[in-house]
Amino acid sequence: MTGLFSISQGHSVLPVVLPLLAAFLMQPLGRVARPLALLLGPATLALSAYLLIRLWLAYGDAPYALAIGGFAPPLGITFYVDRLALLFATAVPVLTLLFWSRGEDDADPLRRDAVMLLLAAAATGLALSGDLFNIYVFYELVAVASFGLVTLRATGAAYIATVRYLLLSALGSVLALVGIAIVYLQTGTLSLAQLAMLAPDALQNPLGLAPFALLLIGFGVKAELFPVNTWVPEVYATAPTRISALLAGLVSKLAVIVVVRLLVLAFDGTGATQLMLALGALGFVTGELAAWRARDLNRMLAYSSIGQLGLVFVGFSLGGTAGMLAGLALVLHHLIIKSALFALATRWRGALARLTGAARSAPVSAGLVVLFALSLIGVPPLPGFWAKLLLVLGLVELSTPLALGALALVLLGSAVEANYLFRLVVRLYARPDDASTPALPKPKLLDFGVASAAGVLLLAATVSVVPVSGWLRGVADQAADRAAYIDTVFPTTLVQSGAR
Amino acid sequence: MQLPALPLPALPALPLPGALTPLDLLFAAAAATLLLALLLGRWRMAGPLMVMGYGVQFWLLLETGTLRGEPMTAAMRFEILGHALGWRYDALSWFFAMITIGAGFVSAWYAGGGWQGLYRSQGHGPRLFHVALAANVLSMLLLVGSGDFLSLFIGWELVSWASFLLMAVAGGIAAQAALRYVTYAFAGAMAVLGALVLIYGVTGSFSYADFAAAVPTITNGQLWVLVALLVGGFGVKLGLIPLHLWQAPAYAETPGPGSAFLGAISARMGLYAIVVVFVALVGIGRLVQMEIPYTFISARELLCWIAALTIIFPTYTALQQHDARYLLAWHGIGQGGYMLLGLLVGTANGSAGGLLHVFNYAITQAALLMAVFAVMYRTGTADLNKLGGLFTRMPITFVVLLIGIISLAGLPPMAGFVSKWLVYRSLIAAEMPFLFVASVIGTLGTILSVYKLIHNIFLGQLRLEHEQVREAPVSLLAPMLGLSTVIFLAGVFPGPALSWVAEVQRALGLEVISYTLGGVESPQGSIDMVWLVGVLFAGFGVGALVFYGFGGKSKRVHQLDNYAGGHFLTADVRYHYSDNFYAGLMHLIGGLYKGGFRWLEGTVTSTVDMLSFSTVGVYRYVQPTLFLLAAAAVMLAWVVL
Repeated sequence: MTGLFSISQGHSVLPVVLPLLAAFLMQPLGRVARPLALLLGPATLALSAYLLIRLWLAYGDAPYALAIGGFAPPLGITFYVDRLALLFATAVPVLTLLFWSRGEDDADPLRRDAVMLLLAAAATGLALSGDLFNIYVFYELVAVASFGLVTLRATGAAYIATVRYLLLSALGSVLALVGIAIVYLQTGTLSLAQLAMLAPDALQNPLGLAPFALLLIGFGVKAELFPVNTWVPEVYATAPTRISALLAGLVSKLAVIVVVRLLVLAFDGTGATQLMLALGALGFVTGELAAWRARDLNRMLAYSSIGQLGLVFVGFSLGGTAGMLAGLALVLHHLIIKSALFALATRWRGALARLTGAARSAPVSAGLVVLFALSLIGVPPLPGFWAKLLLVLGLVELSTPLALGALALVLLGSAVEANYLFRLVVRLYARPDDASTPALPKPKLLDFGVASAAGVLLLAATVSVVPVSGWLRGVADQAADRAAYIDTVFPTTLVQSGAR
Repeated sequence: MQLPALPLPALPALPLPGALTPLDLLFAAAAATLLLALLLGRWRMAGPLMVMGYGVQFWLLLETGTLRGEPMTAAMRFEILGHALGWRYDALSWFFAMITIGAGFVSAWYAGGGWQGLYRSQGHGPRLFHVALAANVLSMLLLVGSGDFLSLFIGWELVSWASFLLMAVAGGIAAQAALRYVTYAFAGAMAVLGALVLIYGVTGSFSYADFAAAVPTITNGQLWVLVALLVGGFGVKLGLIPLHLWQAPAYAETPGPGSAFLGAISARMGLYAIVVVFVALVGIGRLVQMEIPYTFISARELLCWIAALTIIFPTYTALQQHDARYLLAWHGIGQGGYMLLGLLVGTANGSAGGLLHVFNYAITQAALLMAVFAVMYRTGTADLNKLGGLFTRMPITFVVLLIGIISLAGLPPMAGFVSKWLVYRSLIAAEMPFLFVASVIGTLGTILSVYKLIHNIFLGQLRLEHEQVREAPVSLLAPMLGLSTVIFLAGVFPGPALSWVAEVQRALGLEVISYTLGGVESPQGSIDMVWLVGVLFAGFGVGALVFYGFGGKSKRVHQLDNYAGGHFLTADVRYHYSDNFYAGLMHLIGGLYKGGFRWLEGTVTSTVDMLSFSTVGVYRYVQPTLFLLAAAAVMLAWVVL
């Protein structure tokens, strides 16, 4: 295992391959040595995370492309590794580890572990892939894995919710596939870099916008894009809470990143951004409004997550480095906060009325909820404020009627958001109506640890907002740089011939 | 006549390391007070410690010398995401900061003494209270020192959430009132944020100077949007109609000294922000030019009328309250109207009246609420139908309340008279007779309701259950008496307070009032309180001479020695008329109370609820795949068309 000591660019395949391999080895190994099989998952993920962090440290400064199997692009399979890809690829094993199920959800832990590893592998692949076909394949793998995970509780409601999810997801995939087919017909390639070169001629027209719309709808299913997010509340309310945390916190963001890559590289026109802006703003308002009436913690978090992802889409639709920065700030902010809130919800799921007076038995958890609520609605000087400020400033700078309308919707939606989140906060600190109600269980130690770590991270980001924003700008600069993407994947003369 | 620098002696300059200014020290002291509250709030001596903390802050504020000297910029500044963020104190900041720290000082004193034991016995921790109070003071000090729109917004939000904390610490009804407040406040903050980013869109920065330079080129249409968003957003905190409904319950239900603090200064932060944007940067003159088509009124007159109606409606709502705290809190909303009205008139007298009323009202309201909470401390209730005759048991509290209500009603010789007189006078001088009539109608409502207040608590017959009630403890009486003294002195000698106000006017670029020790001397109207109070007391003296000159015949009557309709009332049936106090008046005007604002609030709430219901329907009950197909079809249609 020299890989542990010296790192090379080739190692960036391993975080995809290793969990995949481990997933397939899980059942055979379980027959031979069950304790070992139970350890296999966390060990693999820890190794993946370690590798990705090493890669970040070694190659984080400049993006690089990796041709798998030695076939040069555009023929072979390409991985494109820049800070954005590494950031989200690293988040996958880390968050999967943090939300690794710990035995209370399922009778057959090995099957569950295998599906979790499959999800991790596919999600990492989604972050790193450099061509549309692979993205589609990984996306489907993520979908299959998530179907398996959300039915772990095996209740009737979970099955019904999953069937809805499955129908929506399957149709979405078909639409995305149609979109990919149109792209291929128009350009003859599915490599993102080559698409980026050909896009100005082949895709900046109505026939190019159509596949973007189809891809947006298709990938939007998992990215909780309005209006194809109707599966979200039921699934998050019925699935195991840790799985909801993974889907809301992580998987949705990876789908967003895919859409953003497409937007930056191939569909950089006003039509595409307007579409995203409108759908994002609608998603934000409808999500927040629906959350206003939620009487169940998981549903409230689910609707809030729909709303926040709407905001993320609005952010990325601003375009350029500013849009990328706003979108990334919102994505990371939501990733941290929603994961932490779902972590707290593992023991607090169910009717909101049960939470009355929960602050007495779990004061720190309640304090964390207050902190997250404040940051979610964007109260300065918490990071959520700066993310929202970037967003609204971007909207004003666009200053089209659509952008100003979206600005109004964002501000109104935030006011609604403040009301329902602080209704929850006041409930947490209220005295219970009658003293005989049993005290709520405290969050499990590990979940509590996840939430506390998120809280500490949030406060640290508040104090060090200057360096954090500088670092994020670096990531955004790199991710918004289309020319660099092309140059990195095609460092030779191909660039000249392709450009012509 | 210019007065010498009153009322404080010159202070030795502080030796400071590096680029730090006394302003940084002030912020550091406020932060340190907060930290001390957090660490030592449970300690028995936490109250006195907090009082010392606010005392140090007061001294450091004086040390900045920003009232009469040059404005001071804090060394504390940040550069975040390319936006500069700085703090700066001038006379306006000094004025509001001085009232804030003073209110914190007396509230902490009140909280630290006997009141603390009661608060503990109700199951609350004094630590959280002290933390909330210190957080309020710190955030307000930051807000009034904001040097650009970004720090203004950050300060605004910090103040909002700090006051939410102070309102919510008691739990129960108070927490529900605080939740209502936070809904209003955050909606207002979003309006402010919208306006600030629109300003950014026009000027390309958050700096005050850039905006002031751009004002002449901004169209009236754009400015109307800013007026709507900013007056709406800032007006939430000031309690301008129709955004005022949250304020009275939220302030009244806050624990005693917290209520006094909030009532004294918290709502004025809205006034501060309006002054900064519309008086200092946009200018009243520009508001006058913004005429509403097809009418005779301009933006300024529109705002004046909003201010005038803010005086009238809440004051008459106060008249109907039967809880002393609510009665006073509703008045707080109305009194904000006088301040805004005076500032919008914009003349030397008008703006001086508006600004002076901030100070005069702060000391008045703090004293009044403290007196009411002292009664609550001893009797456990502030219900005006369950009190009465307490004059014999709590005479000092009675005197404090009496001085307070004279000032609140704007009658000589107390402080409130001077500021209200200036506002009336400026309205007449500026030829706004209808607004003058409106503000007098408001004052009439105040006089009626404060009479009800003092009558129902202190006059009439003592209730049986209050036979054993004693005077409030000294720790409560001391700040109350201190404030009463200031109210009286500021009424007889308004000169010092007017000298601060004159400096604020100078800093804002307004006409500066020409003041004397006893009042104002200008062609727009003059008054000399020393002379006036002298005549008043001379009148009392003459009356006394006449009375005692004719033998001074008087007879002490016992409190229960009463007759009604010629019929003697026995002591076992206590006779104290309190419920439906103004039955006759209500017969005349009772029909005018329609609850229109409540209706409006209810309408907005149910609209949101209905929208929410339909979105939930969309997310939960409809076949989802249909959506997907419909979305794809619509999108393709949009692409093709």
